[in-house]
Amino acid sequence: MTESEPNTRPPLDGVRVLDFTWIVAGPTCTRLLGDLGAEVIRVENEQTLDSIRFGRPHPNGFDPPDSGAMFNWLDRNKRSITVNARHPDGLDLIKRLIRVSDVVVENYSSRILENWGLSFEEQRAENPQIIYVSLSGFGHSGPQRDFSTWGPTAQALSGLTAMSGLPEAPEPAGWGYSYLDHMAGFTAAAAITAALKHRRETGQGQWIDLSQVETGMALTGPATLDYTVNGRRYRETGNPPGNRAVWPQAAPHNTYPTAGDDNWIMITCTSDAEWEAFCDASDHPHWRTDRRFATLPARLRHQDELDEQIGSWTAGQDGRALMQRLQAADVPAGVVQNGVDLVLNDPQMKAREWTVTRDHPVIGEHLTDGLQIRFSRTPAHRDRPGPPLGEANQYVFSELLGLSDERIAELQMNGAMG
Amino acid sequence: MGALEGIRVLDCSDPKGHFSGKLLAGLGADVIKIEPPSGDVGRTYGPFLDDQPGPERSLYWWHYAAGKRSLALDLHSSDGIELFLELASDADLVLETYQPGRNRPFDPQALADYYAELVVLSLTPFGQTGPWRDYAWSDAVGLALGGPMGSCGYDNLPGTPPIRPTEHHAGHISGYFAATAACTALYERQESGLGQHIDIAMHECMGFTIESSAPWALYEQHPLIRQAGRHAGPQPTEPWQYPTADGRLINIFGMPRSEASWLALVSFIQEHGMGENLSDFELLDGRKRQLGLQQPSVAVMLADIAEFIAAHEAEEIYAGAQAAGAAWSIIRTPDECLGDEHWHARGFFVDVEHEERNRSVTFPGAPYILSETPWTHGRRAPLLGEHTSEILCGQLGLSQSEVGALIAAGVAR
Repeated sequence: MTESEPNTRPPLDGVRVLDFTWIVAGPTCTRLLGDLGAEVIRVENEQTLDSIRFGRPHPNGFDPPDSGAMFNWLDRNKRSITVNARHPDGLDLIKRLIRVSDVVVENYSSRILENWGLSFEEQRAENPQIIYVSLSGFGHSGPQRDFSTWGPTAQALSGLTAMSGLPEAPEPAGWGYSYLDHMAGFTAAAAITAALKHRRETGQGQWIDLSQVETGMALTGPATLDYTVNGRRYRETGNPPGNRAVWPQAAPHNTYPTAGDDNWIMITCTSDAEWEAFCDASDHPHWRTDRRFATLPARLRHQDELDEQIGSWTAGQDGRALMQRLQAADVPAGVVQNGVDLVLNDPQMKAREWTVTRDHPVIGEHLTDGLQIRFSRTPAHRDRPGPPLGEANQYVFSELLGLSDERIAELQMNGAMG
Repeated sequence: MGALEGIRVLDCSDPKGHFSGKLLAGLGADVIKIEPPSGDVGRTYGPFLDDQPGPERSLYWWHYAAGKRSLALDLHSSDGIELFLELASDADLVLETYQPGRNRPFDPQALADYYAELVVLSLTPFGQTGPWRDYAWSDAVGLALGGPMGSCGYDNLPGTPPIRPTEHHAGHISGYFAATAACTALYERQESGLGQHIDIAMHECMGFTIESSAPWALYEQHPLIRQAGRHAGPQPTEPWQYPTADGRLINIFGMPRSEASWLALVSFIQEHGMGENLSDFELLDGRKRQLGLQQPSVAVMLADIAEFIAAHEAEEIYAGAQAAGAAWSIIRTPDECLGDEHWHARGFFVDVEHEERNRSVTFPGAPYILSETPWTHGRRAPLLGEHTSEILCGQLGLSQSEVGALIAAGVAR
């Protein structure tokens, strides 16, 4: 699992992706493909730049469009070219690129590529084997295809926002970030790799129509079935349940305060054995024999008292020491970590070199994060920083498309390449 | 024909891998779910048909095992593991979720080394190495340690903990990495003819799935403030969730960016005789409408919008705002999603026959529409051991009486 071993090729080596994505959902997909070794070419336009290029933080001072940490995090391992699709010569460049690409990915609103003259049929006319992914909020069919989403919009519409929160609160806690931007991106990556495998066998390309809201609804199976099978609406039973268990039933199953400001530990006992181990590892072995807590049904009935007693025991204790003590007794327990903890305080991440130092022409030395998929024979990589705008113009237009320097200069002058 | 048609998967996963296996089955692979003869633990997860527990009544199982076949075989018995290794000689992929130090029935790397063409995918909480590799785990503990939960919670309810979103999301997040890894390795194998071992740590998958927390942590070591129903951020931002007249909530995060869309939204609201301050000249400037900066102009705008939302019903607000180009939404529960005609028009919800119960059940369907190799929900979830004989006789050539002996010995079911 060494990175960048000599004589190994990453598994998607040789796959070329024409990447029209922006913000988070599409770039999540193409980051994964880039890590896996695909050549990802971001097609950008100077008039409508990806706003992530401007997003904070800017670790080495604000120097747009190449200084943003978010962009460098999400768009590593990619190349960048500048083309204006609304210019006839720009559109022609894109069509020529489609001919030498394997995959086209975009996450615009559902009519943009069609309006450019790049519907799936038009793409297929250029390249019969092309794999095209349209990643939109509502998909490219149906009465609401012109509705639009951001991650939070899609989370709310799919049911996922409502399924996170405290039962007594006036509103759900939902997700503190665009979960469905990530998940739609992962969904697209899975679909693309499946389609590549199919194409290598059959020569057949295809169109993958992906709706971000559908990717979310696909994650609500048991709750949806409780309605379609049992007729039970989600909120009938006091949902959302805070940090208590839904299924499988378990108690204790909650967050408990530990020493310091806003520090918490999640403790979950999903079996009597884990509960007994927990009692023995705590300073309260008598909990085992307390009739209110002796069985799972009893613990569920007395969950308020149970949580209160555990919470008074954990409060003031060092969370990480407590986690280790409970884990030594084989009790599922983990502190709530934020991003900074993952980077600085997580021995597991350190041991597996989740972060490594890389260089960037504007940002300089910085940390980049993990390869989630570790192949024994064809390792993924994370060596190339997020691309400065247009850094690959020469490579793509001259080497890949074989345009002369005169023609490239002309296209720069007439606005097709900008 | 599915994209993974002809691919055989031996799926030895517990709930950590149930979603990955489902994704592979939906893409057309023949997924053989290997369960212990006592039944997969997922069969004990509710909700249950008519609220009565039972191995064939788990709606969790109905959802996550759909499209798979069931082989009930005890991999911790010597007969069981021998039969498994024979099956593996003819399989394309093994999916397993055993933690390395927890009595696993086989060594995944050794298995991959032994069968050169086999892809062995290990999806485990923390991976094959490192000090936490055998830590006791649950989906909620995974979300706590992995980062997603740290960004979710309330800013307006002091003293409340971070909140973990429900419904097995550690499994969902890493399930997509597993499916992508599987397809990628199979794609690569078409050229090299070789399989390999894949080590996926769910912890690392979650570490990527935290959006802007990651760059703020990697570059500035700056933690974010969690906030109700909206993005955690370096500074507090304005609320996005507003109550409607019919007791629901609207999320207004997707405010119009273009002037045309903004003017359309303003006229929609003003047609209802409200939103007088929205005509404020200052708000024509998109920057003055930008949420998250605590601008006075935004405070005025949101006060009018909140008042409008409070006086109207959710569906009307949602339809009107979206028609104006604002990406607003209703905060729906899963049951409410079934009421939206758009998803039915796209064929998202699918009816699946449960023939032994003489009923058809509506499921959430495909996460993607593939034009040439459609995702399929597949057959209803398998009964415990439903395909044991079919697989042991059909694929390994055992006789019915040999299978009977294995069943009598408790090795199979």
